[in-house]
Amino acid sequence: MADVLSVGVNLEAFAQAISAIQALRSSVSRVFDCLKDGMRNKETLEGREKAFIAHFQDNLHSVNRDLNELERLSNLVGKPSENHPLHNSGLLSLDPVQDKTPLYSQLLQAYKWSNKLQYHAGLASGLLNQQSLKRSANQMGVSAKRRPKAQPTTLVLPPQYVDDVISRIDRMFPEMTIHLSRPNGTSAMLLVTLGKVLKVIVVMRSLFIDRTIVKGYNENVYTEDGKLDIWSKSNYQVFQKVTDHATTALLHYQLPQMPDVVVRSFMTWLRSYIKLFQAPCQRCGKFLQDGLPPTWRDFRTLEAFHDTCRQ
Amino acid sequence: MSELGPVCRQGLDGVSQMPVAEGKSVQQTVELLTRKLEMLGAEKQGTFCVDCETYHTAASTLGSQGQAGKLMYVMHNSEYPLSCFALFENGPCLVADTNFDVLMVKLKGFFQSAKASKIETRGTRYQYCDFLVKVGTVTMGPSARGISVEVEYGPCVVASDCWSLLLEFLQSFLGSHTPGAPAVFGNRHDAVYSPADTMVQYMELFNKIRKQQQVPVAGIR
Repeated sequence: MADVLSVGVNLEAFAQAISAIQALRSSVSRVFDCLKDGMRNKETLEGREKAFIAHFQDNLHSVNRDLNELERLSNLVGKPSENHPLHNSGLLSLDPVQDKTPLYSQLLQAYKWSNKLQYHAGLASGLLNQQSLKRSANQMGVSAKRRPKAQPTTLVLPPQYVDDVISRIDRMFPEMTIHLSRPNGTSAMLLVTLGKVLKVIVVMRSLFIDRTIVKGYNENVYTEDGKLDIWSKSNYQVFQKVTDHATTALLHYQLPQMPDVVVRSFMTWLRSYIKLFQAPCQRCGKFLQDGLPPTWRDFRTLEAFHDTCRQ
Repeated sequence: MSELGPVCRQGLDGVSQMPVAEGKSVQQTVELLTRKLEMLGAEKQGTFCVDCETYHTAASTLGSQGQAGKLMYVMHNSEYPLSCFALFENGPCLVADTNFDVLMVKLKGFFQSAKASKIETRGTRYQYCDFLVKVGTVTMGPSARGISVEVEYGPCVVASDCWSLLLEFLQSFLGSHTPGAPAVFGNRHDAVYSPADTMVQYMELFNKIRKQQQVPVAGIR
């Protein structure tokens, strides 16, 4: 409370003003006492009247003096700061019962927190906009005239074309087999088996890769119905880590105009995991770091690194 | 015989014997190992037990050919509670369900149990990342004969792939006592590892311990 109101308040003058008020009160009560007491007992009537008037005048003068003093001090005290961040709700600080209704302090905290949140959100959006993660062919902020244009053709490809591309990639690498199915509508789901090391489920949207899940060779990839299970994670920490890296990879390899090149590069990157358990980390030379083998594959050189060792 | 029930996890196992430290008892060495594991960050996850009984072919079945009697080992592993393993020393390993024990009783005429030959190892299981470590005390009858250490790496199923990885992990808590690669790894390079291979390793370990003297002496396989 004090930190909001103390700007412009002269605390000393405040204290003096309070004592001046007390002095004024006592002089006013003296006036009324004098009136109540009436005239003193003196020899002549004139003497009594004179004494009474003199006493009364003294008292009124002292009241006047005190009032002037108080006015002078009140001018010195000054006004509390007009810059309430909470405007009228700042008057809640005047509530004396802080224990039962700590409204004001909570209000201040909420306000500070929301200010900080806004600031951080602004910073984050600035940073995120630098790395564009959009995977459609539309450019950001295209003018209104061009917006009603038709969807880019790469998003609406005939399924036969997708099948062809995938079967060509399947034949590219001998140790990698790709099985394509369409259990849920037109989006293709691939089951990639890499040697005897791992299995990858890739969910696609026309020829763009949408999601991947990496599981071990001995893990079950089908649900009880016999359909491909595209949601449950692997039981092993190493494959959960590789799933995260694969998601990073599918966001990294982007070329909206040539999606088949993208799929090819992704599969080439994935193929480097054939030696997941045999390759040591290129940076530290060891096999294990926190119980995990080198799970990161560099996007350009395909070298193996531990997640904590990559540059 | 019916097949093994669904095994959800089938990783690669390395079984070795840990020599007892000088001047310490078996129990103290086990405690030393478990403390090292806990310092590494492993979590305790219950207990395990592997036991083995020996049978030899009854004299009446040997017949006129004069062949020497073969030893058969019937083993159980708490990791596969619904199964029973029967194996010969250099021969095949049969994986059956637990009714096999009852069958052995009925086959008393052909296979006789060697008395006082039951050997078992009991201990605690530890989980560290994707590794499952089992440290057990090998006992024959009432006496403790040695220590067995088994490390299983879940994600990998091909034997030859991750031996170096397993070795590095073993070195981190066994120090200088790490063993060489087990023989099962050398035979079949690309075959998928199976629980029978684990039991073969345990059988070899138990045989080695049986041949040792009463006081366990260092010996790495």
